[in-house]
Amino acid sequence: MSYAEYVITGWVVTGASLGAYWLWIVRRTKRAEASWQPPREASGE
Amino acid sequence: MTGSASTGDRLLKPRVAMVLGWLTLVAVVVLALFGLWGAPPDEIQGDAQRLMYLHVPAAWVAYLAFAVTAISSALWLWRRTRSDVWDRVAGSSAELGVLFTALTLVLGALWGKPIWGVWWAWDARLVTTAVLFFLYLGYLALRRIPAAPETRAKRCAIAALIAFVDVPIVHFSVTWWRTLHQDGTVFNEELSAQIHGVMAFTLWFGVLAFTMVYLYLLDRRYRLMVLDEEREEREVAIAIEERVSADPNAPVTPTAPAGASR
Repeated sequence: MSYAEYVITGWVVTGASLGAYWLWIVRRTKRAEASWQPPREASGE
Repeated sequence: MTGSASTGDRLLKPRVAMVLGWLTLVAVVVLALFGLWGAPPDEIQGDAQRLMYLHVPAAWVAYLAFAVTAISSALWLWRRTRSDVWDRVAGSSAELGVLFTALTLVLGALWGKPIWGVWWAWDARLVTTAVLFFLYLGYLALRRIPAAPETRAKRCAIAALIAFVDVPIVHFSVTWWRTLHQDGTVFNEELSAQIHGVMAFTLWFGVLAFTMVYLYLLDRRYRLMVLDEEREEREVAIAIEERVSADPNAPVTPTAPAGASR
């Protein structure tokens, strides 16, 4: 591998890791927000 | 300790988080432009030195993340400042610290192979950094062990403070022991060739950009943790409700959720 190939690999690995982590958070957050319902008031039934 | 979570719980206001997100994206793009093209190749290391514009900022953010985890843990342990917020910040920051430590190790290996000739060496800096990675990996595992929230927060806070002892050991390892890893460079007055010009700017800009990435992701991860806690509380409430409706005389112990997904 040339120096440039090590460099490109490093930048790609960094970008992919941070991007994947961000995407994981965003997808889980959206899923959680979509399933969110306001808590029901105690009806005393 | 539970019950304080609500959907509006965030570290940053949504508008501030959005602006930070866009600024972070711009900063990362600018860093890539300078790191890959703007900064000149090193006289000795050539283009391989361009990995330092990621490796050094990643190591800095790892230190920062673990420091935030330690401070938040201490604030949780101190009764006067005890709050769920500190436990969540500690957990979110530790996760980011592990991610950035892993990046530090991988980027260091990618730089080490062409420059040192090896991917890995049993060097004090490398070994203590790997130990740091596994210590906080253990911390994250500890957070996932089912327990009452207060019990979990307490043992995790203590573990975080113990693990943080390794951070200064990592930092000073290059001065305490003879290492293959180079000594401090940026502030080292003994070096004849200090980093300067576009190379210095790119390095410092990398530190800034990575710090922004950290702050943005910390806010997002914190938000997700709040939502996870709410979901667990809802599931427990529903389970209790179903149990009571099935048998009104059944004993109900409103045990707090285990928090296994945090």
